[in-house]
Amino acid sequence: MKVQQLTKQYDGKAVVDGVTFEIPKGKVLSLIGPNGAGKSTVMGMISRLIARDAGLVDFDGRDIAKWKSKELSKRLAILTQSNQIQMKLTVRELVAFGRFPYSAGRNTPEDETIIDQAISYMELEPFQDRFIDELSGGQRQRAMIAMVIAQDTEYILLDEPTNNLDIYHATNMMKIVRRLCDELGKTVILVLHEINYAAFYSDYICAFRDGKIAKFGTVKEVMTREVLSQIYQVDFEIMEIEGKPLSIYY
Amino acid sequence: MSANTHTKPYATAARRANARKLAIMAVLVLAAAAAYLLVEVNPRYFSYAMSLRVPKLIVMLIAAFAIGGASIVFQSVINNIIVTPCLLGMNSLYTLIHTAVVFVAGSGSILAINANVSFAVDLVLMGIAATLIYGYLFRKTNHNVLYVLLIGTVLTSFFGSIQSTLTRVMDPNEYDSLLSTLVASFSNVNSEIILFSLVVLAILIFVLRRDLALLDVLTLGKAQAINLGVDYDRSIRRLLLGVTLAIAVATAMVGPISFMGLIIANLSRQLLKTYRHSQLILGSVFFGMIILVAGQLIVEHVYTYAIPISVFITVGGGIYFLYLLLTRRRI
Repeated sequence: MKVQQLTKQYDGKAVVDGVTFEIPKGKVLSLIGPNGAGKSTVMGMISRLIARDAGLVDFDGRDIAKWKSKELSKRLAILTQSNQIQMKLTVRELVAFGRFPYSAGRNTPEDETIIDQAISYMELEPFQDRFIDELSGGQRQRAMIAMVIAQDTEYILLDEPTNNLDIYHATNMMKIVRRLCDELGKTVILVLHEINYAAFYSDYICAFRDGKIAKFGTVKEVMTREVLSQIYQVDFEIMEIEGKPLSIYY
Repeated sequence: MSANTHTKPYATAARRANARKLAIMAVLVLAAAAAYLLVEVNPRYFSYAMSLRVPKLIVMLIAAFAIGGASIVFQSVINNIIVTPCLLGMNSLYTLIHTAVVFVAGSGSILAINANVSFAVDLVLMGIAATLIYGYLFRKTNHNVLYVLLIGTVLTSFFGSIQSTLTRVMDPNEYDSLLSTLVASFSNVNSEIILFSLVVLAILIFVLRRDLALLDVLTLGKAQAINLGVDYDRSIRRLLLGVTLAIAVATAMVGPISFMGLIIANLSRQLLKTYRHSQLILGSVFFGMIILVAGQLIVEHVYTYAIPISVFITVGGGIYFLYLLLTRRRI
Protein backbone atom coordinates (compact mmCIF):
# COMPACT_ATOMS: atom_id res chain seq x y z
CA MET A 1 0.00 0.00 0.00
CA LYS A 2 1.45 3.32 -1.13
CA VAL A 3 0.46 6.91 -0.58
CA GLN A 4 1.60 9.51 -3.11
CA GLN A 5 1.34 13.29 -2.90
CA LEU A 6 -1.75 13.06 -0.75
CA THR A 7 -3.32 16.48 -0.21
CA LYS A 8 -6.37 17.76 1.62
CA GLN A 9 -7.49 21.35 1.98
CA TYR A 10 -10.11 22.89 4.20
CA ASP A 11 -11.14 26.42 3.17
CA GLY A 12 -8.06 26.82 1.02
CA LYS A 13 -5.70 25.85 3.85
CA ALA A 14 -3.79 22.62 3.29
CA VAL A 15 -4.09 20.35 6.33
CA VAL A 16 -2.33 17.55 4.50
CA ASP A 17 0.20 18.67 1.95
CA GLY A 18 1.92 16.35 -0.52
CA VAL A 19 2.32 13.34 1.79
CA THR A 20 4.13 10.36 0.25
CA PHE A 21 5.04 7.13 2.00
CA GLU A 22 4.80 3.39 1.69
CA ILE A 23 3.14 1.19 4.28
CA PRO A 24 5.38 -1.76 5.20
CA LYS A 25 3.41 -4.98 4.95
CA GLY A 26 2.98 -7.14 8.06
CA LYS A 27 4.33 -4.43 10.37
CA VAL A 28 2.94 -1.97 12.87
CA LEU A 29 3.14 1.63 11.67
CA SER A 30 2.31 4.50 14.01
CA LEU A 31 1.39 7.97 12.83
CA ILE A 32 2.37 10.57 15.42
CA GLY A 33 2.56 14.33 15.59
CA PRO A 34 1.11 17.35 17.37
CA ASN A 35 -2.57 18.26 17.21
CA GLY A 36 -3.59 19.44 13.78
CA ALA A 37 -0.55 17.90 12.08
CA GLY A 38 -2.85 16.00 9.73
CA LYS A 39 -2.26 12.44 10.91
CA SER A 40 -5.94 11.59 11.43
CA THR A 41 -6.81 13.18 8.10
CA VAL A 42 -4.19 11.04 6.36
CA MET A 43 -5.69 8.00 8.08
CA GLY A 44 -9.15 9.04 6.93
CA MET A 45 -8.01 9.37 3.33
CA ILE A 46 -6.19 6.04 3.36
CA SER A 47 -9.38 4.38 4.60
CA ARG A 48 -11.73 6.20 2.13
CA LEU A 49 -13.64 7.86 5.01
CA ILE A 50 -12.39 11.29 3.92
CA ALA A 51 -12.30 12.43 0.30
CA ARG A 52 -8.92 13.67 -0.84
CA ASP A 53 -8.23 16.74 -2.95
CA ALA A 54 -5.16 15.44 -4.75
CA GLY A 55 -2.78 12.52 -4.74
CA LEU A 56 -3.05 8.78 -4.91
CA VAL A 57 -3.68 5.96 -2.47
CA ASP A 58 -2.41 2.85 -4.18
CA PHE A 59 -3.87 -0.31 -2.68
CA ASP A 60 -2.61 -3.51 -4.26
CA GLY A 61 -1.82 -1.80 -7.56
CA ARG A 62 -5.13 0.04 -7.88
CA ASP A 63 -6.23 3.42 -6.59
CA ILE A 64 -8.44 3.08 -3.55
CA ALA A 65 -11.21 5.16 -5.16
CA LYS A 66 -11.43 2.61 -7.97
CA TRP A 67 -12.01 -0.30 -5.59
CA LYS A 68 -15.52 -1.44 -4.91
CA SER A 69 -16.27 -0.43 -1.33
CA LYS A 70 -17.45 -3.93 -0.58
CA GLU A 71 -14.28 -5.59 -1.89
CA LEU A 72 -12.18 -3.15 0.05
CA SER A 73 -14.09 -3.95 3.23
CA LYS A 74 -12.81 -7.52 3.02
CA ARG A 75 -9.21 -6.35 2.94
CA LEU A 76 -9.03 -3.18 4.98
CA ALA A 77 -10.73 -2.36 8.26
CA ILE A 78 -10.86 0.97 10.05
CA LEU A 79 -11.81 1.80 13.59
CA THR A 80 -12.42 5.47 14.38
CA GLN A 81 -12.60 7.27 17.71
CA SER A 82 -16.27 8.10 17.56
CA ASN A 83 -18.30 5.00 18.12
CA GLN A 84 -21.53 6.16 19.62
CA ILE A 85 -23.78 3.23 19.02
CA GLN A 86 -27.32 4.09 20.01
CA MET A 87 -28.73 0.67 19.32
CA LYS A 88 -29.45 -2.04 21.82
CA LEU A 89 -26.64 -4.26 20.60
CA THR A 90 -24.92 -7.11 22.40
CA VAL A 91 -21.19 -7.71 22.11
CA ARG A 92 -21.74 -10.78 20.03
CA GLU A 93 -24.12 -8.98 17.69
CA LEU A 94 -21.57 -6.20 17.26
CA VAL A 95 -18.77 -8.66 16.47
CA ALA A 96 -21.10 -10.42 14.02
CA PHE A 97 -21.29 -7.19 12.01
CA GLY A 98 -17.66 -7.81 11.10
CA ARG A 99 -18.92 -10.56 8.79
CA PHE A 100 -21.27 -8.21 6.95
CA PRO A 101 -18.96 -7.72 3.93
CA TYR A 102 -18.99 -11.48 3.41
CA SER A 103 -22.50 -12.53 4.31
CA ALA A 104 -24.57 -9.31 4.06
CA GLY A 105 -26.27 -10.04 7.37
CA ARG A 106 -27.02 -13.73 6.80
CA ASN A 107 -24.23 -15.42 8.69
CA THR A 108 -23.35 -19.00 7.82
CA PRO A 109 -22.06 -21.51 10.41
CA GLU A 110 -18.59 -20.70 9.07
CA ASP A 111 -19.14 -17.03 9.87
CA GLU A 112 -20.34 -17.99 13.35
CA THR A 113 -17.11 -19.92 13.93
CA ILE A 114 -15.05 -16.89 12.93
CA ILE A 115 -17.16 -14.74 15.28
CA ASP A 116 -16.54 -17.23 18.10
CA GLN A 117 -12.81 -17.12 17.44
CA ALA A 118 -12.73 -13.33 17.40
CA ILE A 119 -14.64 -13.19 20.69
CA SER A 120 -12.39 -15.69 22.38
CA TYR A 121 -9.26 -14.00 20.97
CA MET A 122 -10.33 -10.80 22.70
CA GLU A 123 -11.36 -12.79 25.82
CA LEU A 124 -14.88 -11.45 25.62
CA GLU A 125 -16.77 -14.68 26.26
CA PRO A 126 -18.08 -13.59 29.67
CA PHE A 127 -19.48 -10.39 28.15
CA GLN A 128 -20.73 -11.59 24.82
CA ASP A 129 -24.42 -11.36 25.72
CA ARG A 130 -24.08 -8.00 27.45
CA PHE A 131 -25.32 -4.85 25.76
CA ILE A 132 -22.58 -2.57 24.45
CA ASP A 133 -23.85 0.44 26.38
CA GLU A 134 -23.46 -1.48 29.65
CA LEU A 135 -19.74 -2.08 29.15
CA SER A 136 -16.76 -0.09 30.41
CA GLY A 137 -14.67 1.87 27.93
CA GLY A 138 -11.94 -0.76 27.82
CA GLN A 139 -14.37 -3.62 27.24
CA ARG A 140 -16.19 -1.68 24.53
CA GLN A 141 -12.91 -0.97 22.78
CA ARG A 142 -12.04 -4.68 22.90
CA ALA A 143 -15.43 -5.52 21.44
CA MET A 144 -14.77 -3.12 18.57
CA ILE A 145 -11.39 -4.78 17.96
CA ALA A 146 -13.07 -8.19 18.00
CA MET A 147 -15.40 -6.95 15.28
CA VAL A 148 -12.41 -5.85 13.22
CA ILE A 149 -10.82 -9.28 13.74
CA ALA A 150 -14.02 -10.95 12.56
CA GLN A 151 -13.85 -8.74 9.47
CA ASP A 152 -10.65 -10.67 8.69
CA THR A 153 -8.75 -8.05 6.70
CA GLU A 154 -5.05 -7.83 5.88
CA TYR A 155 -4.92 -4.18 6.89
CA ILE A 156 -6.24 -2.76 10.15
CA LEU A 157 -6.39 1.00 10.67
CA LEU A 158 -6.93 2.30 14.19
CA ASP A 159 -7.54 5.98 14.87
CA GLU A 160 -6.33 6.75 18.40
CA PRO A 161 -7.25 3.39 19.92
CA THR A 162 -5.90 4.39 23.34
CA ASN A 163 -7.98 7.55 23.54
CA ASN A 164 -10.08 7.77 26.73
CA LEU A 165 -8.50 4.62 28.16
CA ASP A 166 -6.59 4.52 31.43
CA ILE A 167 -2.98 3.32 31.54
CA TYR A 168 -3.95 -0.29 32.19
CA HIS A 169 -6.42 -0.53 29.33
CA ALA A 170 -4.31 1.56 26.98
CA THR A 171 -1.30 -0.68 27.55
CA ASN A 172 -3.45 -3.76 27.00
CA MET A 173 -4.74 -2.23 23.80
CA MET A 174 -1.19 -1.72 22.54
CA LYS A 175 -0.32 -5.33 23.41
CA ILE A 176 -3.32 -6.42 21.39
CA VAL A 177 -2.09 -4.33 18.47
CA ARG A 178 1.26 -6.10 18.68
CA ARG A 179 -0.44 -9.51 18.77
CA LEU A 180 -2.60 -8.63 15.76
CA CYS A 181 0.61 -8.10 13.85
CA ASP A 182 2.80 -10.89 15.29
CA GLU A 183 0.23 -13.67 15.70
CA LEU A 184 -2.32 -12.91 13.01
CA GLY A 185 0.05 -11.35 10.48
CA LYS A 186 -1.96 -8.15 10.08
CA THR A 187 -0.58 -4.86 8.86
CA VAL A 188 -1.62 -2.36 11.52
CA ILE A 189 -1.59 1.40 11.04
CA LEU A 190 -2.53 3.52 14.00
CA VAL A 191 -2.74 7.15 14.95
CA LEU A 192 -1.27 7.71 18.41
CA HIS A 193 -0.82 10.65 20.70
CA GLU A 194 1.35 8.87 23.22
CA ILE A 195 4.84 8.74 21.67
CA ASN A 196 6.18 6.07 24.00
CA TYR A 197 3.43 3.63 23.04
CA ALA A 198 4.42 4.23 19.43
CA ALA A 199 8.06 3.69 20.30
CA PHE A 200 7.55 0.54 22.33
CA TYR A 201 4.95 -1.27 20.24
CA SER A 202 5.47 -0.29 16.61
CA ASP A 203 8.01 -1.20 13.95
CA TYR A 204 7.86 2.05 12.03
CA ILE A 205 6.85 5.57 12.90
CA CYS A 206 5.68 8.29 10.59
CA ALA A 207 5.88 11.70 12.26
CA PHE A 208 3.82 14.59 10.95
CA ARG A 209 4.16 18.29 11.36
CA ASP A 210 2.04 20.98 9.64
CA GLY A 211 0.49 18.56 7.19
CA LYS A 212 3.83 17.23 5.97
CA ILE A 213 5.90 14.21 6.90
CA ALA A 214 8.62 15.37 9.27
CA LYS A 215 10.26 11.97 9.54
CA PHE A 216 9.44 8.46 8.40
CA GLY A 217 11.55 5.53 9.55
CA THR A 218 12.09 2.74 11.99
CA VAL A 219 11.45 3.45 15.64
CA LYS A 220 15.16 3.98 16.30
CA GLU A 221 15.47 6.46 13.44
CA VAL A 222 12.53 8.58 14.55
CA MET A 223 12.99 8.42 18.31
CA THR A 224 15.91 10.80 18.61
CA ARG A 225 16.21 14.04 20.54
CA GLU A 226 16.69 16.10 17.40
CA VAL A 227 13.74 14.69 15.46
CA LEU A 228 11.27 14.77 18.35
CA SER A 229 12.12 18.23 19.62
CA GLN A 230 11.85 19.57 16.10
CA ILE A 231 8.41 18.00 15.66
CA TYR A 232 6.93 18.87 19.04
CA GLN A 233 8.93 22.02 19.89
CA VAL A 234 9.58 20.62 23.36
CA ASP A 235 12.81 19.38 25.00
CA PHE A 236 13.28 15.63 24.90
CA GLU A 237 15.54 13.09 26.54
CA ILE A 238 15.78 9.60 25.05
CA MET A 239 16.54 6.60 27.20
CA GLU A 240 16.58 2.94 26.43
CA ILE A 241 14.41 0.31 28.16
CA GLU A 242 14.34 -3.33 27.00
CA GLY A 243 16.32 -2.24 23.96
CA LYS A 244 13.68 0.25 22.90
CA PRO A 245 14.06 4.00 22.88
CA LEU A 246 11.63 5.80 25.16
CA SER A 247 11.27 9.53 25.47
CA ILE A 248 10.97 11.82 28.41
CA TYR A 249 9.60 15.27 27.75
CA TYR A 250 9.13 18.18 30.05
CA MET B 1 -16.30 -24.27 22.93
CA SER B 2 -18.47 -24.14 26.03
CA ALA B 3 -19.06 -20.49 25.15
CA ASN B 4 -20.73 -21.61 21.96
CA THR B 5 -23.29 -23.84 23.50
CA HIS B 6 -24.04 -20.96 25.83
CA THR B 7 -24.49 -18.14 23.32
CA LYS B 8 -26.42 -19.59 20.50
CA PRO B 9 -29.38 -20.58 22.64
CA TYR B 10 -29.28 -17.10 24.15
CA ALA B 11 -29.34 -15.33 20.80
CA THR B 12 -32.14 -17.49 19.46
CA ALA B 13 -33.98 -17.26 22.78
CA ALA B 14 -33.97 -13.47 22.62
CA ARG B 15 -35.13 -13.55 19.04
CA ARG B 16 -37.81 -16.07 19.80
CA ALA B 17 -39.03 -14.00 22.75
CA ASN B 18 -39.36 -11.04 20.40
CA ALA B 19 -41.16 -13.14 17.82
CA ARG B 20 -43.60 -14.15 20.56
CA LYS B 21 -44.16 -10.54 21.59
CA LEU B 22 -44.81 -9.62 17.96
CA ALA B 23 -47.26 -12.49 17.60
CA ILE B 24 -49.18 -11.31 20.67
CA MET B 25 -49.30 -7.81 19.20
CA ALA B 26 -50.58 -9.17 15.91
CA VAL B 27 -53.39 -10.86 17.81
CA LEU B 28 -54.15 -7.59 19.60
CA VAL B 29 -54.28 -5.79 16.26
CA LEU B 30 -56.76 -8.35 14.98
CA ALA B 31 -58.82 -8.09 18.17
CA ALA B 32 -58.91 -4.29 17.93
CA ALA B 33 -59.86 -4.51 14.27
CA ALA B 34 -62.63 -7.01 15.00
CA ALA B 35 -63.93 -4.89 17.86
CA TYR B 36 -63.86 -1.81 15.66
CA LEU B 37 -65.90 -3.55 12.98
CA LEU B 38 -68.40 -5.28 15.24
CA VAL B 39 -69.06 -3.09 18.29
CA GLU B 40 -72.65 -1.77 18.38
CA VAL B 41 -73.35 -2.97 14.89
CA ASN B 42 -77.00 -3.35 14.04
CA PRO B 43 -77.38 -6.78 12.38
CA ARG B 44 -80.14 -5.49 10.15
CA TYR B 45 -77.83 -2.96 8.53
CA PHE B 46 -74.72 -5.11 8.69
CA SER B 47 -73.50 -4.61 5.15
CA TYR B 48 -74.17 -0.88 5.32
CA ALA B 49 -72.17 -0.59 8.56
CA MET B 50 -69.35 -2.58 7.01
CA SER B 51 -69.27 -0.34 3.96
CA LEU B 52 -68.60 2.55 6.34
CA ARG B 53 -66.27 0.84 8.78
CA VAL B 54 -64.08 -1.35 6.58
CA PRO B 55 -62.58 1.51 4.51
CA LYS B 56 -61.89 3.50 7.68
CA LEU B 57 -60.22 0.51 9.27
CA ILE B 58 -58.05 -0.07 6.22
CA VAL B 59 -57.05 3.59 6.11
CA MET B 60 -56.00 3.43 9.77
CA LEU B 61 -53.97 0.29 9.16
CA ILE B 62 -52.21 1.83 6.16
CA ALA B 63 -51.54 5.07 8.03
CA ALA B 64 -50.12 3.13 10.99
CA PHE B 65 -47.95 1.13 8.62
CA ALA B 66 -46.57 4.21 6.86
CA ILE B 67 -45.99 6.19 10.06
CA GLY B 68 -44.63 3.27 12.07
CA GLY B 69 -42.18 2.21 9.40
CA ALA B 70 -41.11 5.75 8.50
CA SER B 71 -40.53 6.71 12.14
CA ILE B 72 -38.18 3.82 12.90
CA VAL B 73 -36.28 4.38 9.66
CA PHE B 74 -36.06 8.10 10.34
CA GLN B 75 -34.77 7.65 13.91
CA SER B 76 -32.19 5.13 12.80
CA VAL B 77 -30.98 7.32 9.96
CA ILE B 78 -30.68 10.38 12.23
CA ASN B 79 -29.25 8.11 14.95
CA ASN B 80 -31.45 9.61 17.63
CA ILE B 81 -34.50 7.99 19.14
CA ILE B 82 -36.40 11.09 20.24
CA VAL B 83 -36.87 12.57 16.78
CA THR B 84 -39.97 12.11 14.69
CA PRO B 85 -40.44 12.65 10.96
CA CYS B 86 -42.69 15.60 11.95
CA LEU B 87 -39.43 17.54 12.05
CA LEU B 88 -39.19 17.33 8.28
CA GLY B 89 -42.08 19.76 8.01
CA MET B 90 -44.47 17.57 6.05
CA ASN B 91 -47.36 18.28 8.42
CA SER B 92 -47.19 22.02 7.98
CA LEU B 93 -46.68 21.61 4.24
CA TYR B 94 -49.91 19.59 4.21
CA THR B 95 -51.73 22.32 6.14
CA LEU B 96 -50.35 24.93 3.79
CA ILE B 97 -51.41 23.05 0.67
CA HIS B 98 -54.94 22.62 1.95
CA THR B 99 -55.23 26.22 3.00
CA ALA B 100 -53.83 27.42 -0.31
CA VAL B 101 -56.27 25.24 -2.26
CA VAL B 102 -59.26 26.60 -0.35
CA PHE B 103 -57.89 30.12 -0.55
CA VAL B 104 -57.27 30.07 -4.29
CA ALA B 105 -59.99 27.78 -5.58
CA GLY B 106 -62.56 28.10 -2.80
CA SER B 107 -63.96 25.44 -0.51
CA GLY B 108 -66.56 24.49 -3.10
CA SER B 109 -64.05 23.63 -5.82
CA ILE B 110 -63.43 20.11 -6.99
CA LEU B 111 -59.89 20.31 -5.61
CA ALA B 112 -61.22 20.59 -2.07
CA ILE B 113 -64.39 18.51 -2.26
CA ASN B 114 -63.38 15.45 -4.26
CA ALA B 115 -61.33 13.24 -1.94
CA ASN B 116 -59.43 11.61 -4.76
CA VAL B 117 -58.41 14.84 -6.41
CA SER B 118 -57.50 16.39 -3.10
CA PHE B 119 -55.43 13.33 -2.17
CA ALA B 120 -53.66 13.39 -5.52
CA VAL B 121 -52.92 17.11 -5.16
CA ASP B 122 -51.52 16.57 -1.66
CA LEU B 123 -49.41 13.65 -2.65
CA VAL B 124 -48.00 15.16 -5.82
CA LEU B 125 -47.22 18.52 -4.25
CA MET B 126 -45.73 17.03 -1.08
CA GLY B 127 -43.79 14.46 -3.06
CA ILE B 128 -42.34 17.07 -5.40
CA ALA B 129 -41.55 19.46 -2.56
CA ALA B 130 -39.92 16.70 -0.53
CA THR B 131 -37.84 15.42 -3.41
CA LEU B 132 -36.71 18.87 -4.49
CA ILE B 133 -36.13 20.40 -1.08
CA TYR B 134 -34.58 17.42 0.66
CA GLY B 135 -32.84 15.95 -2.36
CA TYR B 136 -31.19 19.33 -2.88
CA LEU B 137 -30.46 19.87 0.80
CA PHE B 138 -28.73 16.54 1.31
CA ARG B 139 -26.34 17.32 -1.49
CA LYS B 140 -25.85 20.91 -0.39
CA THR B 141 -25.14 20.02 3.26
CA ASN B 142 -22.96 17.03 2.43
CA HIS B 143 -25.55 14.68 3.92
CA ASN B 144 -25.31 16.25 7.32
CA VAL B 145 -28.55 15.08 8.87
CA LEU B 146 -28.41 17.69 11.63
CA TYR B 147 -28.62 20.50 9.07
CA VAL B 148 -31.50 18.70 7.42
CA LEU B 149 -33.33 18.59 10.76
CA LEU B 150 -32.60 22.24 11.41
CA ILE B 151 -33.81 23.26 7.96
CA GLY B 152 -36.88 21.05 8.42
CA THR B 153 -37.72 22.94 11.61
CA VAL B 154 -37.24 26.27 9.86
CA LEU B 155 -39.41 25.14 6.96
CA THR B 156 -42.10 24.05 9.43
CA SER B 157 -42.45 27.56 10.76
CA PHE B 158 -42.05 29.02 7.27
CA PHE B 159 -44.97 26.99 5.91
CA GLY B 160 -46.89 27.67 9.12
CA SER B 161 -46.45 31.45 8.75
CA ILE B 162 -47.66 31.48 5.16
CA GLN B 163 -50.61 29.33 6.15
CA SER B 164 -51.63 31.58 9.03
CA THR B 165 -51.27 34.64 6.80
CA LEU B 166 -53.65 33.04 4.31
CA THR B 167 -56.20 32.18 6.98
CA ARG B 168 -56.17 35.76 8.26
CA VAL B 169 -57.36 37.15 4.96
CA MET B 170 -59.74 34.27 4.30
CA ASP B 171 -63.52 34.35 4.37
CA PRO B 172 -64.57 33.01 7.84
CA ASN B 173 -67.00 30.52 6.30
CA GLU B 174 -64.29 29.13 4.09
CA TYR B 175 -62.00 28.90 7.07
CA ASP B 176 -64.60 26.97 8.99
CA SER B 177 -64.90 24.33 6.29
CA LEU B 178 -61.13 24.25 5.91
CA LEU B 179 -60.54 23.62 9.60
CA SER B 180 -62.17 20.21 9.52
CA THR B 181 -59.61 18.93 6.98
CA LEU B 182 -56.66 20.22 8.99
CA VAL B 183 -57.33 17.92 11.92
CA ALA B 184 -56.50 14.26 11.57
CA SER B 185 -59.68 12.28 11.08
CA PHE B 186 -60.90 9.08 9.57
CA SER B 187 -64.25 10.26 8.36
CA ASN B 188 -64.91 10.64 4.63
CA VAL B 189 -62.31 8.19 3.42
CA ASN B 190 -62.89 6.55 0.11
CA SER B 191 -61.70 3.29 -1.22
CA GLU B 192 -59.93 4.64 -4.28
CA ILE B 193 -57.54 6.54 -2.01
CA ILE B 194 -56.74 3.23 -0.36
CA LEU B 195 -55.68 1.62 -3.60
CA PHE B 196 -53.71 4.68 -4.63
CA SER B 197 -51.74 4.85 -1.39
CA LEU B 198 -51.12 1.11 -1.31
CA VAL B 199 -49.57 1.33 -4.76
CA VAL B 200 -47.39 4.27 -3.74
CA LEU B 201 -46.18 2.49 -0.59
CA ALA B 202 -45.53 -0.74 -2.46
CA ILE B 203 -43.42 1.07 -5.06
CA LEU B 204 -41.56 2.85 -2.27
CA ILE B 205 -40.70 -0.39 -0.49
CA PHE B 206 -39.68 -2.06 -3.73
CA VAL B 207 -37.37 0.78 -4.75
CA LEU B 208 -35.82 0.98 -1.28
CA ARG B 209 -35.62 -2.73 -0.51
CA ARG B 210 -31.79 -2.83 -0.62
CA ASP B 211 -31.41 0.26 1.53
CA LEU B 212 -33.91 -1.06 4.07
CA ALA B 213 -31.85 -4.23 4.38
CA LEU B 214 -28.85 -2.05 5.23
CA LEU B 215 -30.58 -0.29 8.13
CA ASP B 216 -28.98 -2.49 10.79
CA VAL B 217 -25.51 -1.57 9.52
CA LEU B 218 -26.32 2.11 8.94
CA THR B 219 -27.10 2.58 12.62
CA LEU B 220 -23.52 1.70 13.50
CA GLY B 221 -22.68 5.19 12.22
CA LYS B 222 -21.12 6.57 9.09
CA ALA B 223 -17.53 5.42 9.65
CA GLN B 224 -18.50 1.86 10.56
CA ALA B 225 -20.99 1.59 7.71
CA ILE B 226 -18.37 2.67 5.18
CA ASN B 227 -15.84 0.35 6.80
CA LEU B 228 -18.25 -2.52 6.21
CA GLY B 229 -18.55 -1.60 2.55
CA VAL B 230 -21.85 0.30 2.53
CA ASP B 231 -22.41 3.39 0.38
CA TYR B 232 -23.62 5.38 3.38
CA ASP B 233 -24.49 8.74 1.82
CA ARG B 234 -26.51 7.22 -0.99
CA SER B 235 -28.52 4.95 1.30
CA ILE B 236 -29.19 7.72 3.80
CA ARG B 237 -30.39 10.05 1.06
CA ARG B 238 -32.69 7.45 -0.46
CA LEU B 239 -34.09 6.39 2.92
CA LEU B 240 -34.80 9.96 4.02
CA LEU B 241 -36.64 10.63 0.77
CA GLY B 242 -38.58 7.42 1.34
CA VAL B 243 -39.47 8.57 4.86
CA THR B 244 -40.73 11.93 3.58
CA LEU B 245 -42.85 10.27 0.91
CA ALA B 246 -44.29 7.68 3.33
CA ILE B 247 -45.20 10.48 5.73
CA ALA B 248 -46.69 12.40 2.83
CA VAL B 249 -48.92 9.41 2.05
CA ALA B 250 -50.01 9.03 5.67
CA THR B 251 -50.63 12.75 6.11
CA ALA B 252 -52.56 13.01 2.86
CA MET B 253 -54.74 10.10 3.96
CA VAL B 254 -55.59 11.04 7.53
CA GLY B 255 -54.17 14.50 8.18
CA PRO B 256 -51.28 15.63 10.36
CA ILE B 257 -50.80 12.77 12.78
CA SER B 258 -47.17 11.77 12.39
CA PHE B 259 -46.36 12.84 15.96
CA MET B 260 -47.69 9.40 16.76
CA GLY B 261 -44.49 8.06 15.19
CA LEU B 262 -42.50 9.14 18.24
CA ILE B 263 -44.72 7.11 20.54
CA ILE B 264 -44.95 3.93 18.56
CA ALA B 265 -41.30 3.81 17.50
CA ASN B 266 -40.15 4.17 21.09
CA LEU B 267 -42.69 1.73 22.46
CA SER B 268 -41.38 -0.76 19.93
CA ARG B 269 -37.76 -0.10 20.88
CA GLN B 270 -38.56 -0.42 24.59
CA LEU B 271 -40.50 -3.61 24.16
CA LEU B 272 -38.17 -5.44 21.78
CA LYS B 273 -34.74 -4.15 22.87
CA THR B 274 -33.08 -5.20 19.66
CA TYR B 275 -31.20 -3.62 16.78
CA ARG B 276 -32.95 -5.74 14.14
CA HIS B 277 -35.01 -3.35 12.07
CA SER B 278 -37.23 -6.03 10.64
CA GLN B 279 -38.56 -6.62 14.17
CA LEU B 280 -38.46 -2.97 15.27
CA ILE B 281 -40.47 -1.82 12.25
CA LEU B 282 -43.03 -4.57 12.69
CA GLY B 283 -43.40 -3.70 16.38
CA SER B 284 -43.80 -0.03 15.61
CA VAL B 285 -46.40 -0.73 12.91
CA PHE B 286 -48.39 -2.99 15.26
CA PHE B 287 -48.32 -0.42 18.05
CA GLY B 288 -49.54 2.19 15.58
CA MET B 289 -52.38 -0.04 14.44
CA ILE B 290 -53.46 -0.82 18.01
CA ILE B 291 -53.37 2.83 19.07
CA LEU B 292 -55.21 4.13 16.02
CA VAL B 293 -57.90 1.45 15.88
CA ALA B 294 -58.52 1.29 19.62
CA GLY B 295 -58.35 5.08 19.84
CA GLN B 296 -60.85 5.52 17.05
CA LEU B 297 -63.11 2.93 18.69
CA ILE B 298 -63.14 5.03 21.85
CA VAL B 299 -63.64 8.25 19.89
CA GLU B 300 -66.63 6.85 18.07
CA HIS B 301 -68.39 4.94 20.82
CA VAL B 302 -67.40 6.59 24.09
CA TYR B 303 -67.01 10.22 23.07
CA THR B 304 -69.32 9.94 20.04
CA TYR B 305 -66.97 11.99 17.86
CA ALA B 306 -66.81 14.87 20.33
CA ILE B 307 -63.01 14.67 20.45
CA PRO B 308 -60.90 13.84 17.40
CA ILE B 309 -58.32 11.10 17.81
CA SER B 310 -55.44 13.49 17.15
CA VAL B 311 -56.16 15.16 20.48
CA PHE B 312 -55.56 11.88 22.30
CA ILE B 313 -52.41 11.23 20.33
CA THR B 314 -51.00 14.70 20.92
CA VAL B 315 -51.75 14.64 24.65
CA GLY B 316 -50.57 11.06 25.13
CA GLY B 317 -47.56 11.63 22.88
CA GLY B 318 -46.61 14.79 24.73
CA ILE B 319 -46.64 13.05 28.09
CA TYR B 320 -44.69 10.11 26.72
CA PHE B 321 -42.16 12.49 25.15
CA LEU B 322 -41.57 14.15 28.53
CA TYR B 323 -41.20 10.73 30.10
CA LEU B 324 -38.56 9.82 27.51
CA LEU B 325 -36.67 13.06 28.09
CA LEU B 326 -36.68 12.68 31.86
CA THR B 327 -35.77 9.01 32.05
CA ARG B 328 -33.04 8.84 29.42
CA ARG B 329 -29.51 9.25 30.59
CA ARG B 330 -28.32 10.82 27.38
CA ILE B 331 -30.20 12.19 24.42
